[in-house]
Amino acid sequence: MQSLKTDMITVTCKINGKEYSGMVEPRTLLVHFLRDDLNLTGTHIGCDTGHCGACTIFMNGKTVKSCMVLAIQAQGANLMTVEGLADGDKLHPIQEAYWENHGLQCGYCTPGMLMSSLFLLQRNPDPTEEEIRRGIEGNLCRCTGYVNIVKSIKAAAKKMQQQQGSAAPSIQAKAGH
Amino acid sequence: MTPKKFDYYAPTTINEAIQILHDNEDSKVLAGGQSLLALMKLRLAAPASLVDISKLENMSYVREEKDYLAIGALTIHDIIEHNQFIKDHFTILTDAASKIGDQQIRNKGTIGGSSCHADPAADLPTALTALAVNFVVVGKNGQRVIPAKDFFVDTFTTSVGKDEVVTEVRIPYLPPHSGSGYIKHSRREGDFAIVGVGAVVTVGEGNICKDVRIGLGAVGAIPLRATKAEEYLKGKTLDDKNIVAAAEVANDGADPPSDMHGSREYRLEMIKVFTKRTLKLAMSRVK
Amino acid sequence: MATVTELVKAEEEAKPKLWLGQPLKRKEDPRLISGLGKYVDDVKLPGLAYASILRSPYAHARIKSIDTSKAEKLTGVLCVITGRDVVKITDPFLQISPAPANKLKDYCLAVDKVTYVGDPVAAVVAESRGIAEDALELIEVEYEPVDHVIDARRALEKDAPVLHEEVGSNLVFYGKWDYGNIEQAIKTADKVVKATLHFHRFSSTPIENNGVVVNYDRATGFLNIYCNNQMPMFCIPWLSFGLRFPSNRIRMITGDIGGGFGTKIINYPYIALVAILAMKTGRPVKWTEDRREHLAAANHGNERTFDVEVPVKRDGTILGFKLKAFDDCGAYTRYEPAGAAIWAQVTPGCYHFANFVMEFYQVMTNKCPVGPNRGYSRSQHLWMLERSVDIVARELGLDPAEVRLKNFVRPDEMPYVTPSGGIYDGGNYGESLRKVMKLIDYDGIREEQAASRRKGGKLIGIGLATVLDSGTNNFGQVKIVNPENPFSGNSEAARISIDGLGQIQVALGTVPQGQGHETFASQVVADEFGVSPDQVTVLMGFDSGTNPYSHQSGSYASRSAVMGTGALLGAAKKVKEKAAKIAAHLLQTSPEKIDFREGAAVDRETGKKIPLWQIGNVAWVNNLLLPEGMEPGLVAINFWRPSFTLPDEKWRHNQTLTYSYQSHAAVIELDPESGKFKILRYAIVDDCGTQINPLIVEGQVHGAAAHGIGAAMYENFEYDEENGQLKSSTFIDYLVPTALDIPHMITSHIETPSLFAPKGIRGVGEGGCTPVGAISNAVEDALAPLGIRITDSHQNPQQIHKLIREKASK
Repeated sequence: MQSLKTDMITVTCKINGKEYSGMVEPRTLLVHFLRDDLNLTGTHIGCDTGHCGACTIFMNGKTVKSCMVLAIQAQGANLMTVEGLADGDKLHPIQEAYWENHGLQCGYCTPGMLMSSLFLLQRNPDPTEEEIRRGIEGNLCRCTGYVNIVKSIKAAAKKMQQQQGSAAPSIQAKAGH
Repeated sequence: MTPKKFDYYAPTTINEAIQILHDNEDSKVLAGGQSLLALMKLRLAAPASLVDISKLENMSYVREEKDYLAIGALTIHDIIEHNQFIKDHFTILTDAASKIGDQQIRNKGTIGGSSCHADPAADLPTALTALAVNFVVVGKNGQRVIPAKDFFVDTFTTSVGKDEVVTEVRIPYLPPHSGSGYIKHSRREGDFAIVGVGAVVTVGEGNICKDVRIGLGAVGAIPLRATKAEEYLKGKTLDDKNIVAAAEVANDGADPPSDMHGSREYRLEMIKVFTKRTLKLAMSRVK
Repeated sequence: MATVTELVKAEEEAKPKLWLGQPLKRKEDPRLISGLGKYVDDVKLPGLAYASILRSPYAHARIKSIDTSKAEKLTGVLCVITGRDVVKITDPFLQISPAPANKLKDYCLAVDKVTYVGDPVAAVVAESRGIAEDALELIEVEYEPVDHVIDARRALEKDAPVLHEEVGSNLVFYGKWDYGNIEQAIKTADKVVKATLHFHRFSSTPIENNGVVVNYDRATGFLNIYCNNQMPMFCIPWLSFGLRFPSNRIRMITGDIGGGFGTKIINYPYIALVAILAMKTGRPVKWTEDRREHLAAANHGNERTFDVEVPVKRDGTILGFKLKAFDDCGAYTRYEPAGAAIWAQVTPGCYHFANFVMEFYQVMTNKCPVGPNRGYSRSQHLWMLERSVDIVARELGLDPAEVRLKNFVRPDEMPYVTPSGGIYDGGNYGESLRKVMKLIDYDGIREEQAASRRKGGKLIGIGLATVLDSGTNNFGQVKIVNPENPFSGNSEAARISIDGLGQIQVALGTVPQGQGHETFASQVVADEFGVSPDQVTVLMGFDSGTNPYSHQSGSYASRSAVMGTGALLGAAKKVKEKAAKIAAHLLQTSPEKIDFREGAAVDRETGKKIPLWQIGNVAWVNNLLLPEGMEPGLVAINFWRPSFTLPDEKWRHNQTLTYSYQSHAAVIELDPESGKFKILRYAIVDDCGTQINPLIVEGQVHGAAAHGIGAAMYENFEYDEENGQLKSSTFIDYLVPTALDIPHMITSHIETPSLFAPKGIRGVGEGGCTPVGAISNAVEDALAPLGIRITDSHQNPQQIHKLIREKASK
């Protein structure tokens, strides 16, 4: 059992297939651990109440808001952030789709939006517009009005179905399935 | 944004958890964290110790027992939303779980956590009240069962003891020819309810109401049963006329708050509107 | 012998294909989709310390005492300061109001009193964010609450609490615009339609909050400021005078910005505060704003009430508008009262009436300071016009579309001079409205509505609005509020260089927050030099140490595309002239015969070419081959300014260069039992003149519409009458629309080039809050059988429910 007074504690976890370690307080939020301690600044912070979704990452195969998780809870976990989407230089089909369909403007909500898009398409490879909108309900965007995001996700679904089997395994592993 | 400092415990057995809660005066259970951590980040809650029970094993399940469906307290909303048995037999719960927050919140929030957090405007407590569930609670003195009507005591307060942990939620099976549903009236889909109504009906020959339970959320300190409406309906035909008449008295005993999304007067009116609609929804699902 | 068709075809094919107008993928995207964006919270410097701010819990109170001793003793705290410290080392921020409002003493921390919930009172710097927040709880402030006022009209009453004693009243500015003869119009009218309308308080709440990192470099004496302000160089006088710090040692740096929409213009007090903290502690200091702080104390849009009188003829002709406006600007004037004059950019909206009176009062209240918000000050005015036109139609028993078409400025009237001297640069409002009506199937919906009404079924409503997005402002307009304001015109800077290897680099003074400046700039420059946009590198973000700029540089007022293009074209011209001279010299021909295409300078007559790399080589490292007397190097900075005039004695002048416009149509279905409604169908037609990148334009149109829908249906900064508290203080209650709340939008466009702007471009970034008009019109239309009048820009279901019940009980 872990029982810790308010001292620093080491957290070790796997992120994007790589092992990371750092010292945190019990109260350190996972998003701060990622951004400040591990220099993975792709995950963003946009609110204090778990609404905006800019901090969305994969934790043990499911999307979570990393501002609503303590870093200490990630001990031994398998995480994926936006930095893990691409395969080296090769963009993930979802990233390509967003780029081709102008699914981003300022880019601040985008990392979290990409994570939620991926989770949706992993579960539901051919979603309707309603299902897409529901899937990204927890990701606020103030630039795009969501129209091109929906378009991007539809395009990503097509791409992923065409590429079925090729990109999937490494993403699945990274996402902690 | 940063919570106040606290001591952190991650017990691996239920007894450890209970002991830590017992030994630490100002300690709170952390389950999914989707309610508690938000309050702690705003520094509206600042327990000296957090007891993280998310590492406890065998607390996430949906199991058909003889007389009831057993749901482990750490079962996340997402699992409840997609569970076929629940969809077929307790659609009210599917409705409620599917309307909580958003996908990310449903991936982490738990039925036990949401119940113990006891936000009057939350969706599950209302649905569980209408289902008249039983909560299994484990403490230093062993296990006890708390029925829903005794579970929610006040805003953010339940009758779970300081050093007790909810381990399971038991939903008694409904008789044949039952139907249920939950409707949330809110500004946006995932918001807390302005008014939430859950209804469970059991009908007999000619749609006579054999049993009905109506749970109301966001209309007082705790989820309410609209008992006056229930009494009106028992034994009567569940047709539009009676449903409307029952809905008219559904807000009896409700003491709703006022805020920018719903004044007290508005909520009292909305209880009527959405009781009517939820009863109709439940009726439409009677098999 | 070639046929005419073949010749024409050959000529077409020989024409270089233009990048202008292509829907190219953006250059910004690869880094943003990979999580490599560089936002201000990503800035890390060695020795970074963290700041936090203690804020007032009261709407209006005197500060009797502040004890920071316990906070200072907390391990890890580096310093704690209050208004008392600030007052000793800074001067109050510049004010652009007239006297006596300009006596207002605005510091980065409250000094003697607090005037709104969230007003900064003290600041802490500590080794970590957590410790900085812990220290706030140890600061003991003794407040003496006093009466507060949260209504603009009330704040003008003699016995109302006064916020700033040094001003003496809460009035910031009063002005009367008087054109034509409104009293005559009222006399000759068949009817005078009257209404009192309220435009509510909301803001665009970008997902990235404010943030500042300041590093005071003692070695060089430079204040290095990393921020996300939209016009950092405009802030320089405020910062330099305020901090008593020389302007030529302040460096402003912005990277990627997570949305601005106008709300990141008045954050300079926070920049000043962090600068003070950095200088005091000798450490680089970072402050990132919480969402709660942002909602309470960053930037609210102008809240405005109008008393409206519209003289009309029975046939729907609008003879004029007589208005009294009360503008609630919150507790401090930071960009205000510019808003008091900015609405006049679009005095008559899209309509050609000549009689107009506006009495405009801007008033301070105990609420968050107001600043530019998407469609700044025009949204309010244009909503009032669109709501009023619909009310006119209803009272005359005419179709709202017909009344609009009847009163629109016509294309043959362009360029149209408005009563206040605005010069509309072209457009066809009638075509735009007709087009959007077709897109939405207006006639079909009217039939559906009629059928539904006959059956007593769902309440369907249709709302229309046609609104202007006036862009590229003339700063001279602030002379209206105070003739002594030393600001006028507008300007932007660009630098283009072709280096010693022939590589093109571009730097702009604009400050992008998602509008795709790197992309559009490369398209414009690529066309100039006959290369592809991939061969043009545009510096990311803004840095006063490396980018050219004017003190009006930035991205605001829908001006980046126009101003940026103007500056780029000028810089390109200078570089091309020189490059052509060099090429001509090398080819022994004359510069007039040189074209630039396919990465080379080409002699049009002989076809001989000199590649850009060779020109660059000669210019930079091989200059003995240059023409006699020519300066080496191949780089040019260009400052561009539009042609503007100062306001005349009646305040007439053209306040913006371009006037984009949009027509929106909303179809809603309203549930009378709950007052809630949903959008069934939404269509938009926009005209922003020549489109540099249609993909980017469409994205701006979508985004602006989403802001308007959010404002109309979900977003409201509501304050409690009793205690002045902000009710919508977190994202729990300030409702930002999700993907489930914004409908799919059908869009189309018209392209009538601007008569005045470079390449016929018009700015499109702001939008104009058109949905606020379309939706309030749709709600009233849905409730028309009940005869309910909608007078608020925000539609809260419980309010609609109340109106329905009140009508039913009569």
